[in-house]
Amino acid sequence: MREPTFLILTALANESRHGYGIVQEIQVLSAGRVRLLTGTLYTALDRLAAEGLVEHDREEVVDGRLRRYYRLTAEGLALLTAETARLRQLTTAAEARLRSVHPRTA
Amino acid sequence: MAGPLARRYRRLLLAYPRAYRRSRGEELLSALLDAALPERTRPTAQEAADLIRHGLRARLGRPASRTVVVWAVLSAIISGLFIAGFATRAAWETARPLPKTAEVRTMLAQILPGQEFTGIEDPQAMFVFNGQPLTWDTANDLLWGDGGEYAQSGIGGSVNGAPVIPPQDTVELAQHNLRAHGWTVYPTMTHNMYGCAGPPCDPATIPKSTTILARRSDTRFSMEVHSQYRSDTTSITAGFTRTTPWAVYPLGLTGGILGAVVAFLIFGWASRRTEGRHPAGAAVKKLLCVTLFFWWAPTLYAVPWTARHHLDEPHPSWHPMWEWLGQPTFSLLFLIGCGSALLGLAAAATEPRPDGEPLSTVASS
Repeated sequence: MREPTFLILTALANESRHGYGIVQEIQVLSAGRVRLLTGTLYTALDRLAAEGLVEHDREEVVDGRLRRYYRLTAEGLALLTAETARLRQLTTAAEARLRSVHPRTA
Repeated sequence: MAGPLARRYRRLLLAYPRAYRRSRGEELLSALLDAALPERTRPTAQEAADLIRHGLRARLGRPASRTVVVWAVLSAIISGLFIAGFATRAAWETARPLPKTAEVRTMLAQILPGQEFTGIEDPQAMFVFNGQPLTWDTANDLLWGDGGEYAQSGIGGSVNGAPVIPPQDTVELAQHNLRAHGWTVYPTMTHNMYGCAGPPCDPATIPKSTTILARRSDTRFSMEVHSQYRSDTTSITAGFTRTTPWAVYPLGLTGGILGAVVAFLIFGWASRRTEGRHPAGAAVKKLLCVTLFFWWAPTLYAVPWTARHHLDEPHPSWHPMWEWLGQPTFSLLFLIGCGSALLGLAAAATEPRPDGEPLSTVASS
């Protein structure tokens, strides 16, 4: 799974969000490192919807602007859980190696 | 939502297909405006490139597909190349007519004074098939294997038996006179007239053929001089053809770009239309594969072959573009590809099943 996909699924893990809300949440999750452009985000949302990982939740109109909210599906949640476990296992293994190289810094 | 920024975003959203804009356009615009700083009046270059890129991707539909972009690019490139080929053929109509017999005799007299050439006849067309203008009656032969006989026409003549001066002197005199009359002379090429028949074989004893190529303005001259001849065989052949007219380049480029764009849009239309549970979805995919095979295979065969040929000998003017695409040698394969493409488009145009909603709109439905 690519990082933007992981971040989008993570952004939707605890609550449904609209497009710009997802962009903002991803910036928070990545400590400002990843800033998804709107075109990229919607292509990714289309793909995730087609794969059954996210779905439409509700619509709101705020200040005359249409906001469509998205949420994770059960499949999306399962995939995010599995991917998180995979990354945790890799991170744990990497940290163990780094501890043996740099005992104080790892 | 009005204002210059919204207007400019809407303009960029034209990269997306109309149905997508109808269902998601306002949502996308809202997200874009939310993300923009308040004082901004123009999208950034990065945003514009991102919207165009992803808008074109949306035109292909099938958001979960990882290969649809490859198929679309392959279709657009080969369609663009073929349309460019047709455009260059049309542009060749702007070429000056070939010189007439009298003018040819004058030019040959300047190149080889005192040498009589026979068989000079006014050409019937700029491109000929088996020496004759291409007609509907001969198109059948062109399709069924003789397509390689369709070639640029020229006008020239030959010398039978001994030339006025010996062959090597003929070559040197012709080069000298060509330069003196403003021709650009290319390096000569010398070939053995036949290979070794078997041992014992001394290559030095094999008769040689020397080819002189020259160019002046839009006219190309070629002359072949044989080192050995009999009284009833040809010792010299010489002829004139036209070089590629300048209109070929802009028309070819424009045709190629337009062809690729139109092919991309048509591919996107068919792809979006047949995603989901379209009754002809599988058939359209197969027909696309057939089309691309019959269009790409001759091209992939012809391009390296023609490139090698160009590198092997000097070319005052390049071979026409369609020859680089293997046409009309493989015109039957091209036509099969066209038939397959039209069938695929016709199948895509059939009405999808009522429950065949494209997956890409699930999120917005």
